[in-house]
Amino acid sequence: MVVGDISTGTDVLVIGGGPGGYVAAIRAAQRGLDTTLVEKDDYGGVCLNRGCIPSKALITGADLAHEAGNAEEMGIHADPAVDMAQMVGWKDGIVDRLTGGVEKLCKANGVNLVKGTARFKDENSVRVAHGGEGQGSESIEFDSCIVATGSRPIEIPNFSYADDPVIGSREALDMDTIPERLVVVGAGYIGMELSTVYAKLGTDVTVVEMLDDALPGYEDDVANVVKRRAKELGIEFHFGEGASEWRDSSDGGITVVTETEDGEESTYPADKVLVAVGRSPVTDTLGLDAIDLEPNERGFLETDDYARTDIDHVFAVGDVAGEPMLAHKAFKEGIVAAEVIAGEPAALDYQAVPAAVFTDPEIATVGMTEAEAEEAGFEPVVGQMPFNASGRAMTTGHTEGFCRLVADEDSGFVLGGQIVGPEASELIAEVALAVEMGATLEDVAATIHTHPTLAEVVQEAAENAEDQAIHTLNR
Amino acid sequence: MGVKEFKLPDVGEGVAEGELVSWLVEAGDTVSEDQAVAEVETDKALVEVPSPYNGTVKELLAEEGEIVPVGDVIITFEVEGEGDDASAEKAPEPETEADESGDDESDDDESDDESEAVAGESAEKGADQRAETPKGRVFAAPSARRLARELNVDIQSVDGSGPGGRVTDADVQAAANGQVESGVEETESESDAGPREVSTDEKKSAVSRRDDGQSAANGAAASAEAAGRDRTLAAPATRRMAEEEGIDIDDVPTDETRDGQAFVTPEAITQYAQAQREAREAEVQADAEAAEAGGAESATEAAEDGVAERIPYRGVRRTIGQQMEKSLYTAPHVTHHDTTVVDELVDVRAEYKELAAERDVKLTYMPFVMKAIVAGLREHPILNSTLDESDPDDAEILVRDEYNIGIAVATDAGLMVPVVKNVDEKSILQLSREVNDLASRARDRKVTREEMQGGTFTITNFGAIGGEYATPIINYPETAILGLGGIEKRPVVEESEDGDDVVAKETLPLSLSIDHRVIDGADAAAFTNTVMENLRNPKLLLLE
Repeated sequence: MVVGDISTGTDVLVIGGGPGGYVAAIRAAQRGLDTTLVEKDDYGGVCLNRGCIPSKALITGADLAHEAGNAEEMGIHADPAVDMAQMVGWKDGIVDRLTGGVEKLCKANGVNLVKGTARFKDENSVRVAHGGEGQGSESIEFDSCIVATGSRPIEIPNFSYADDPVIGSREALDMDTIPERLVVVGAGYIGMELSTVYAKLGTDVTVVEMLDDALPGYEDDVANVVKRRAKELGIEFHFGEGASEWRDSSDGGITVVTETEDGEESTYPADKVLVAVGRSPVTDTLGLDAIDLEPNERGFLETDDYARTDIDHVFAVGDVAGEPMLAHKAFKEGIVAAEVIAGEPAALDYQAVPAAVFTDPEIATVGMTEAEAEEAGFEPVVGQMPFNASGRAMTTGHTEGFCRLVADEDSGFVLGGQIVGPEASELIAEVALAVEMGATLEDVAATIHTHPTLAEVVQEAAENAEDQAIHTLNR
Repeated sequence: MGVKEFKLPDVGEGVAEGELVSWLVEAGDTVSEDQAVAEVETDKALVEVPSPYNGTVKELLAEEGEIVPVGDVIITFEVEGEGDDASAEKAPEPETEADESGDDESDDDESDDESEAVAGESAEKGADQRAETPKGRVFAAPSARRLARELNVDIQSVDGSGPGGRVTDADVQAAANGQVESGVEETESESDAGPREVSTDEKKSAVSRRDDGQSAANGAAASAEAAGRDRTLAAPATRRMAEEEGIDIDDVPTDETRDGQAFVTPEAITQYAQAQREAREAEVQADAEAAEAGGAESATEAAEDGVAERIPYRGVRRTIGQQMEKSLYTAPHVTHHDTTVVDELVDVRAEYKELAAERDVKLTYMPFVMKAIVAGLREHPILNSTLDESDPDDAEILVRDEYNIGIAVATDAGLMVPVVKNVDEKSILQLSREVNDLASRARDRKVTREEMQGGTFTITNFGAIGGEYATPIINYPETAILGLGGIEKRPVVEESEDGDDVVAKETLPLSLSIDHRVIDGADAAAFTNTVMENLRNPKLLLLE
């Protein structure tokens, strides 16, 4: 122990105040456990500060601007001017409110908040280094620990986030001017979301992607709807090309150089280059050596159904505990870890984790695809409803996409669903509920849905799967 | 033709063994599914064991009078077109209840063939075979999955009864009940230090057979089984109906729910009442036959070494013995004696006896005593307690907030203690009716196991047979028991202006035994005083 060191004890130590961490801390405190939450940065983690919330704020702003300027069909003639600094300021206000809310909730539930970076000393204590020089450090002893350190954007060679024209998702959400030309490296969901935002704000966007297609992990017909729309918005795609370097160009901007597998080079002019090639879990600051805990080859801390690592009293939740890196998965894991520590019979036994991509149109999925269901040994039956057959969709001016339900033909159990189209992120909740509850197609079809709403597409898809659809031709 | 083995199932009493009282069939007999093949007496009741198959009896593997552990093969059947149990490959069978149990049996046989160490493996295997859904996916609501975790049930191994085989809360609960029973038996067999002969899997199959029985006979048995819920929703009229039938609505089996709570319909009440009556009748009949058979046997064995009769110390007798032994050697007993004058009580009872008779109720003193006891327990709650010693390092006195009074009844088979629930909420007439019913059914051995559970205090009425004072043995883990002597005229000293007179008064001697670990002598005396005060002045009972 360092001379003058302060050592405190706690029942539960939570490292990281993101969606996994703060939820775990609050639930642990609600269960009467003395709980300490260590956060090095801002409460709310990536989700609130640099992810879900700020990106959705900007997406909404960009959508509004774009729609207002493209609604002649509805008789609206406008040429909106976007004050980017003001929009970012508005977004920051939302973020501040939310992060402040998280801090208040933690305090109100009796969670001890500590600012700093925690590093394991041994299996029952950490050393927390407070930020900045002369801020000192302290030791905290714990009975149980929940690691919720999250993830950070992956850097690629020659593209350091420290260099001004190279930006990551974080910086992309903080720009107070709209770049004229943007090269986006990576056509995963973050790249696609931000590409759409800037395309709608008037930027010339070029997407380069090493793989053959955008949105890997989504079925072709789902991804294609988004890709088609992206192209309509003027986004240019170059697949099979990896970004190799960037250099200043004579016009005051930069040139991004890409290379194919065969070594063929291309160059794209830009003002900024946004690198969105994925995220990696944060474990390097934890001092895991001290507790003999090793991340797996992909850098994640492996956990069991109780969010427990190989060390019985050390738990891991959220991005650091593995994919999918989604805030709602982290919420659930945080709750389970806290309840398990409190001695309750909690477990991660959900059947499916829904996921949403806030592109235009949105994509949302839950559970199994048809192929996955088949692979799992089901005899899948599929029902589909296109948004262009939905009255409500027509009245919103967004009729791209479809809703698809996958069910087990034998029992009728809904196994999953894929929705690409307006408000897909909201609509998927019904399918998720059906999957979790073990609802059948008949259950979904027989549930009265409000008319006229987009949610009718879910009902129609269920009816279609049963060859009972009224508003579309049955499959 | 195939040979099917049948093992002594868990007969639903949470017991590890039973005495095979008599065979109702013999080798070569043709039996149909659900036909009773044997009578087995456990320490709680005499039950008929039904055949799970249509077929011919091949061999009886247990002697009458033999104690058979649950899970032992007791009989084999020749079954048309069926493979032997031992054969590993079996054609899929239609999903009738009996066939399912057959499947489970065969799973067990496999595990029996192997060493004990692979019991876990075979259980897993069983689960795999049951899981018809690919990749072990279970269709159940998150709430059902949470319930499974709470009850420590592996939901993968639960057969779903909901739409499309969805696992419901009730399925989880049923599986949990099966596990609890098997848990009890495991503990028992561990304490015997003997090999664990019964796989968990089998217990489950026995339970599901009992709970899910579809055939008429099975159905009756299943619905006679008390559900024992904590809370039940029902319309007021339905509740009244249950009350009239003398049925605890929490015990009525139902699949229906409202807002997630069990919901009982009038039909369910009727069915349950009918099933209960049938079950009782069947038991009585079986009992009578068993007594007949037993009588003949003991006559032939008599007259040897000056021993008039050798009576096996088993069944109900042994259970009573074990319970007494446990109580006396666990709880330090102290008995407090006193006598109270009950002239007024005798008058009141005499006065209302006829009124009660007009309502077909035989009014005894017992309801008055019960009410007086409730008054005593209200004032001295420590006597309404049980001692929870399940964790010896952290035992707890549980002071109860319900007044469930057990009435010890001497029966031909031994002492039975049916429990009158919620005495504080019932009128004297209701109590009279209930006590009379329970006592007569106890004597006929028609009282169910559930009706003998949940007591918080016990009365033993040795005075009914004769006597003044005794040392009642506490109905452990309760902490107090009140013994009643006979109400008789006894000499009482009465003070008057002319000096003391000795007069004849109706008096009731009381003997209160307490667990001195929990209750002090002063509490005992104070409680007895309150009881006596209420008995001396029966009008006070109106306040109860």
